[in-house]
Amino acid sequence: MDKDIFEKERQQVLQSWPTGKDVDFNEAVDFHQNLPSEKVFSKQLQKALDSGTILLQPRAGVALVDEHIRLLSFLEDYADLLPTTIDAYTRQNRYEDAQKGIERSTQAQRSLLNGFPAVNHGVSACRKIIESLDKPVEVRHGTPDARLLAEISLAGGFTSYEGGGISYNIPYTKSVPLERSIRDWQYVDALVGKYEEQGCSINREPFGPLSGTLVPPCISNAIAVIEGILALEQGVKSLTLGYGQAGNLIQDIAAIRALKESATTYFGQFGYTDYQLSTVFHQWMGGFPENEAQAFSVISWGGVVAVMSGATKVIVKTPHEAMGIPTKEANRDGLLTTRQSIRMVSDLKPLALKDIDLEQEIIKEETKALIDSVISLGQGDLAKGAVLAFKAGFLDVPFAPSQNNVGKVLPIRDNNGAVRLFDTGNMPLSDDIKTYHRDRIAERAAYERREASFQMVIDDIYAISKGKLVGRPK
Amino acid sequence: MDKMQVVLGVIGSDCHAVGNKILDRFFSDNGYSVTNLGVMVSQDEFIDAAIETGAEAILVSSLYGHAEIDCEGFRERCIERGLDPIVLYIGGNLVVGKNDRAIVEKQFLDMGFDRVFVPPNTELIDQAEILQEDILKNRDLSTRAI
Repeated sequence: MDKDIFEKERQQVLQSWPTGKDVDFNEAVDFHQNLPSEKVFSKQLQKALDSGTILLQPRAGVALVDEHIRLLSFLEDYADLLPTTIDAYTRQNRYEDAQKGIERSTQAQRSLLNGFPAVNHGVSACRKIIESLDKPVEVRHGTPDARLLAEISLAGGFTSYEGGGISYNIPYTKSVPLERSIRDWQYVDALVGKYEEQGCSINREPFGPLSGTLVPPCISNAIAVIEGILALEQGVKSLTLGYGQAGNLIQDIAAIRALKESATTYFGQFGYTDYQLSTVFHQWMGGFPENEAQAFSVISWGGVVAVMSGATKVIVKTPHEAMGIPTKEANRDGLLTTRQSIRMVSDLKPLALKDIDLEQEIIKEETKALIDSVISLGQGDLAKGAVLAFKAGFLDVPFAPSQNNVGKVLPIRDNNGAVRLFDTGNMPLSDDIKTYHRDRIAERAAYERREASFQMVIDDIYAISKGKLVGRPK
Repeated sequence: MDKMQVVLGVIGSDCHAVGNKILDRFFSDNGYSVTNLGVMVSQDEFIDAAIETGAEAILVSSLYGHAEIDCEGFRERCIERGLDPIVLYIGGNLVVGKNDRAIVEKQFLDMGFDRVFVPPNTELIDQAEILQEDILKNRDLSTRAI
């Protein structure tokens, strides 16, 4: 982004809600420079990268500042990295509604908001959070226009910021134009770049799981790599690319390995060498079993696969997932379960299996086809290319709410539980790849003695919440 | 008989789209004419759509915990705008935190919803029949009132 345009826009952004006036960039730089490395996200990620360990992070956020600090202080003993999950009104820039939620929560003495309304609380409240804790804290949200939230939370001392112009539009909005959200996220990345120029490290994490519903790895990997490049273009230096567990061990390991390789290849192709790359594995993002013992099993398995995939960080679910926002105790129990399962496998050597290699090659080839189509549509301009690719359905996220999304692609599990493409929509994949997916699905259909159909897709969506991976007929 | 008109959507700032797409498909396949407003629908958008299509039921989903704020005064708003009678359903994860199902159900019944589904694990096929019965009951009441 042009520096003058960016600075002019900053003045408007900071005036869009009263708390914006408390942002003082130079003072914030001082604060960041004086943070001990234990509280800096990228430094903890680097330690994990160097030692080959995996870091645990929950999701958590409530309406009121002191209550939020109590929640994070409670979780701090069980987690390596902390979150501040932002409420859904703030995500839509509905700060008046967030204010109402704060007032109602104060009256009711319980949180009526599903996250922390950081914009309303402002810079000093954010500082209070950072100062009260000994571990790094990330802003986790789902905000298509996250400019003011970034200004306030980064000035407030947060050292990592989740999201991206695609990954916080397609799964999180209905009608925000993609060109708008990509542009607003270029601002966020430019702001992060501005901090980086002053030696303040802010980690950026595009949201990997997208709709969280049987997303084929090639689609999420392609979008992660594209958002990674869009961030690097604006001066971001520390990137964590994400992937949501699909359920089949082989495919999940292959997906994270492929993600690292595709990212490294394309970042190099675009001329970037000076960056820190880590990966995040999200435990199962789809529907959970209501029974807590069963939920713990899903969580535990997610921990195991996260380690085996070689991810740098794992985002942990809770036994209350089927019911909505968890209590702090349920959140702790998800962390404890994951910690145990991780330690059970962390001494294992990385799996060397032909099946993983094959899957990895397929994912990389598919991802390449998608990314290359974006590059070619945009004639080298990835932002433009991404907008055109979504219009054309070259990029297409299953079960996403956005009107920017063609929504033709349909996933289905194969007979081994791996996610395949039942309908490839308009995605520019080779005939060989399409045939591969069709054959894998045909195997399952024959085994189950039924046609592959939308009913089979629905069966797969609900399968894990009903106690199995593949939605077989009764 | 003409298909029964229903309006479907996810209320407030909620963007959970998966169940919405499945419900749309399900009710459409089971004899209803569905106007699906998708995610992030305001009370007035639900009501506008119901008036426009002559819908006899509004099916509200909420998965993100803000339903008690988003649904405040919904029944009163329907009556005020002339939607009376109208079947009002809500389903999902309606409030923040793990709460007693019966308490949450009562809270939303008291707000004027005809049926409350928490958590949303009821078999879909039963819902199609229940909805038909509730709509017919309303028609019966209206006829008697005339």
